[in-house]
Amino acid sequence: MKLAIVVQRYGQAISGGAELHARYIAEHLARHAEVDVLTTYASDYVTWRNEPGPADERINGIPVRRFHVEHERDLLAFSRHSARVFEHRHSLADELRWLDAEGPTSPALVNHIAAHADSYDFCLFFSYRYYQAYHGARAAARRAVLVPTAERDPAIGLTMFQPLFRGVRALMYNSPEEQAMIQTVSGNQDVPGVVVGVGSDVPANPRPERFRQKYGVEGRFAIYVGRIDGNKGCNELFEFFEGYARDVYGHLSLLLIGQTLLPLPQHPRIRHLGFLDDADKFDAMAAADLLVIPSYFESLSMVALEAWALGRPVVANAKCDVLKGQCLRSNAGLFYESYAEFLSVIQSLERNRWLGATLGTNGRRFFREHYEWPVIERKYLDLLERLAREPARSTMEPLPPWIERRRRNLPPAQDVVARLPRGASLEPAAAGLRS
Amino acid sequence: MSDFNVRSDSVNVEQIMEQVRDRIREKRGVDYTEQQIRELAALKLEKFLDPRGVRSDLLKEFRGVEPDPNFAFEEDTLFHSTRAPFLMWIRRLLRPVLKLFFNPNPLIDVLHTQSKLNALNASRHQLYYELIHNLVVEATRLGIEVRNLKMRVESMDARVDFSERRARALEGAVMYRPQVEDEREATRPSPSRSPAPSPIAPPERAPSRPMFSPTPAAQISSSGSAGTGGPGPGPGAESSGQRSKRRRRRRGRRGGAPAAAIMGSPAGSPQGVAPPASDAPGGDAPAPPADSGPERDAAEQGPSTPFAKPPEAHGGGSGQGPATGSGGADDEQ
Repeated sequence: MKLAIVVQRYGQAISGGAELHARYIAEHLARHAEVDVLTTYASDYVTWRNEPGPADERINGIPVRRFHVEHERDLLAFSRHSARVFEHRHSLADELRWLDAEGPTSPALVNHIAAHADSYDFCLFFSYRYYQAYHGARAAARRAVLVPTAERDPAIGLTMFQPLFRGVRALMYNSPEEQAMIQTVSGNQDVPGVVVGVGSDVPANPRPERFRQKYGVEGRFAIYVGRIDGNKGCNELFEFFEGYARDVYGHLSLLLIGQTLLPLPQHPRIRHLGFLDDADKFDAMAAADLLVIPSYFESLSMVALEAWALGRPVVANAKCDVLKGQCLRSNAGLFYESYAEFLSVIQSLERNRWLGATLGTNGRRFFREHYEWPVIERKYLDLLERLAREPARSTMEPLPPWIERRRRNLPPAQDVVARLPRGASLEPAAAGLRS
Repeated sequence: MSDFNVRSDSVNVEQIMEQVRDRIREKRGVDYTEQQIRELAALKLEKFLDPRGVRSDLLKEFRGVEPDPNFAFEEDTLFHSTRAPFLMWIRRLLRPVLKLFFNPNPLIDVLHTQSKLNALNASRHQLYYELIHNLVVEATRLGIEVRNLKMRVESMDARVDFSERRARALEGAVMYRPQVEDEREATRPSPSRSPAPSPIAPPERAPSRPMFSPTPAAQISSSGSAGTGGPGPGPGAESSGQRSKRRRRRRGRRGGAPAAAIMGSPAGSPQGVAPPASDAPGGDAPAPPADSGPERDAAEQGPSTPFAKPPEAHGGGSGQGPATGSGGADDEQ
């Protein structure tokens, strides 16, 4: 079996969720199939600037082919287009212009996919909202398997994506919440789909003491791992944690791991260690009392899965349905919607070690049953084998004619999203094949 | 918030979260709810806020202000017609011709942006209202807190005041016997002449009190007799005539308030008492001969020199801070 993985950027230094997800999947599927990665020269997800580098290279044994991005993102134009399609009635042409403004606009990549799609059994497109996924999946619809990595943000309400969700051969969802959201917005219940998620190469024997010694970390602490960004709910986390440090008799510190885009609060109990390699990161997570995930939007929290794999409990933002659903299904994490809940959840875990340990045990079991690599690989291979046996059931709907595309009859995307059902799914975790 | 009823290996996150929420609800029942805080703030606003400093009708005014009416300006607005829809069609048809004369797009863009700005401005108005409202609520809460703190500070100030006077009275009471003791000890060389640290005064002040060489008995009597208003009969006590003479003189200067009264009755003593910052030569300075010198001079200076620097002979200050240079406890009272 020959597979193409199409993703907006790719590399070992790229730690973004969908990109890391794509790399992990590529490397693990490469054990069972021939895998090529098709991507761009960009490594900055804000500008999509072309970075110098070879067109063809191998990363961890996987052949990677890069294509130029035609133009960098014009932030002003992008925000103008975003305001138009998210907040006002607009046309399909507006949405296409928004997609072009968002980038990474790489017609060369799309042309390559169109020309060479037949040489692959399947093309796996990551992140529905980017240029290469939308146009690439349309160019190779009969072989397109979409890994949408969709979050509950206004982009999911754009009308142009609905035919995409209905027209691909299959979708690999990250969570039941994501599946429910996409099925509601696009009505693609007929399209084969499976809730898979992604695994992680968590070391079997992390060394928390080594981490403490290396970084001079003492005492008990909560940890945040990921990009330190307002969009990830970090401002709220800082506010809540400073409140915890001020209002209650607690001993936990907060350790931050990841690149920061925010000015960090100058607080004696908040410490930022910057970007750490995987070994240090896992050691740090193993040394922590709990992992905090303050994000409002997630399609799947890989870092939560990693914490569970290490037997650590998670405290997540309940405003994110996916995170709340993960906590409920795994029985391995608590969540908060307000400061009072944050305070009491953190205090509970701090004062009841048995609770953290039990949640951690549940998390470890949850990870082992649903997110260990053999399970993930099996789900991918089963679906691909099934698709190879079955003829394509759906075809990609063509774009409407020129005049129709310019008719301003599409609702604002945020209105569409507001109408989508909310709430976590209580079904068993990563429930397996659904079609 | 820390203890849960669930104590087994099979925890249920939903159950735990339910308990967490129950606890929060219980706690909220004891504490003030947000609504209660707001009501409280609204109530106290009239009471505490200075109407000269804060406009009490600010919120009312904010509530009353209507945002400016906005207009919608879309791409077709220029060519729109409510009366004759076919006119719109004709205008749209002739739009390329119009574009030969001038380009309406910048105009459309600008007016569209202006419309958005107006909408944004209106929404900001709501935000400002929220902000001001929250600020007023916070200011009120802080005002209440400041008042409470002020009252506490005043109460603590009174206590400190009383404690200082009590300490000075104790020191003054102790110094009778050491002086006599000293006179007696001067006649015989004894190791007890070396100044020992006082349990009351700071140790560094002991050398500046040549007459104070407390023996254990003196220490005991100093603490024990303080409450009775005078030194107890020590081994080196002076004659009762001398003592009562001095006591009468001191009472005369103090206006009749003995040390015991000062120590024992906090309610009575602060009346007519000078600020605690003032010095107390009777306690801090080396005790002069009973009927002579600076003590009486200082007493005679009276309130006219409340911050007069004490004579150098007073041992270079009392150790209670720089503001302790007044005429003395006796003049203060």
